[in-house]
Amino acid sequence: MINILAACGAGVNSSHQIKTALEEEMKKRGYSVKVDAVVIKDINKAMMEQYDIFAPISKPKLGFDVQIPIVEAGPILYRIPAMADPVFDELEGIIKKLNK
Amino acid sequence: MDVIIQFANSLFKPLVDLGAAPLMFILLSLLAMLMRVKPSSAIEGGLKLAIALTGIGAVIDILTGNFAPALKDFVKSTGIELSVTDVGWAPLATITWGSAYTLFFLFILVLINIVMLIWNKTNTLDVDIFNFWHLSIIGLLVMHYSDNLLLATLLVIMLGVMKFINSDLMKPTFNDLLDMPDTNPTTTTHLNFMLNPLIMVFDKLFDKLLPFIDKYDFDAAQLNEKIGFWGSKFAIGVYLGAFVGILGQQSVHTTFTLAFIGGVSLELFSVVGTWFISAVEPLSKGITNFLSAKMKGRQFFIGIDWPFVAARPEMWAAANVIAPIMLGIALILPGNKLLPLGGIIAIGLTPALLVVTRGKILRMIIIGSIMVPVFLWSGTAIAPFVTETAKSVGAFPAEVNQDVLISHSTLEGPVEKFLAILVGKMGESFSFEYIMMTIGALTAYILLFVWYAKQMQKRNKVYEQKREAA
Repeated sequence: MINILAACGAGVNSSHQIKTALEEEMKKRGYSVKVDAVVIKDINKAMMEQYDIFAPISKPKLGFDVQIPIVEAGPILYRIPAMADPVFDELEGIIKKLNK
Repeated sequence: MDVIIQFANSLFKPLVDLGAAPLMFILLSLLAMLMRVKPSSAIEGGLKLAIALTGIGAVIDILTGNFAPALKDFVKSTGIELSVTDVGWAPLATITWGSAYTLFFLFILVLINIVMLIWNKTNTLDVDIFNFWHLSIIGLLVMHYSDNLLLATLLVIMLGVMKFINSDLMKPTFNDLLDMPDTNPTTTTHLNFMLNPLIMVFDKLFDKLLPFIDKYDFDAAQLNEKIGFWGSKFAIGVYLGAFVGILGQQSVHTTFTLAFIGGVSLELFSVVGTWFISAVEPLSKGITNFLSAKMKGRQFFIGIDWPFVAARPEMWAAANVIAPIMLGIALILPGNKLLPLGGIIAIGLTPALLVVTRGKILRMIIIGSIMVPVFLWSGTAIAPFVTETAKSVGAFPAEVNQDVLISHSTLEGPVEKFLAILVGKMGESFSFEYIMMTIGALTAYILLFVWYAKQMQKRNKVYEQKREAA
């Protein structure tokens, strides 16, 4: 099981769309992932340490360095499959490397 | 004509009599199916909306049931008239989506978007269907005063057109703020950015009078890191509950109860908020598939919800610092009846501050504080409308005391709410006085936007020159 942290500005809309899309697509590709959606503001170092991959809507500047792989998931929100695919591919590549 | 209306009434009346939640369950499911969404997803969406409406009602009930009596004592013991409960954005969005008119305004706005794209009046394809409620609530506000659907629709169209134009204007700034390559299509039509023109007036004043202030800007990310959980939803609910309890001279037991109820309510509002965003999701997918099929081969920007700008820490630092300032202003501002609670983290304000000042944190905080009264007055002005609408869609128990009111302290588009009230009052009487006032206000609003558009075009030209030089 790969744990992914999705994040956006309010933690209710964009990040939940990212969560649903990532979970659906990764299941289709044969990986079991669990995505939590939160507000960017509420992320701290301790929270980040519990996840394998960070999937924010766009690259955030946090008060600390992120040690886990980052996948920018914003393009999922355009609702156009051709634009979301690179995000899924990148995520799949990282999951393969993590080899969990 | 009468026959048609009678026929329509006999057809729709039983549906309308079902109440808002069942009606919207049926309408939303049908509309999604019409947009070729799978029946099972369409029904899933419809059911989630009904559940969300009912859920929001339950949380409002918990919150006002506990806070309303305490707020009354608060008013009595402090003499400060803050009797309206601030429930934040989720209940207002839910209430608006609980009205069938929202589907009508949505339909009109999607049409406008298509027409503007075809005529090359905008480059933005708006896929943020959920946030159409922000214009719908403005239309509903006009109708609250005048019952005039035509006037409401005209105002919604005018603001809709301006929002699409604004989304194009802001695109280069987003690229700059978020390091997006030119190929990235992300932009947004969100209503909160319609405050940009007013913010820009003050920003230009800073350029002229206090340009040196930017030297004292601090690191926003570090501030946010230090604030940590103390700035999270439940923590804020706890402080404000305790604040009301202590100043309202409640017993220690009641004060603790208020604090925890405050925390619970703020968390639950956003949980229920996620239900009903996912309720609209199948319809959003249907409409976007339809739109992108129609617009195949055309290059455009894509308008999504605003949270992509939340990657900038200045937005949160400003919201965190403005929160206590807002509480202070609310206590002394004449004409304000709202005690900030659900809306105290001003995400309806700080994204616009970020775009106009481009992340100059001190300007954001100072101009943001100047804007706070506009939001509080607007929130106070719409409280009777919000409360009545909540009751009519069954999201608020109708049997509660007449003087219990709810509203939102930082609802996006405060200026536009005043425009809607003016237009509504004009439609009610068509008196000379209101006609002149409305024309005056709309003219001022449009002229300010035109001036702002010119400034943004200048800014965008500089971006272009930089790009060419690079």
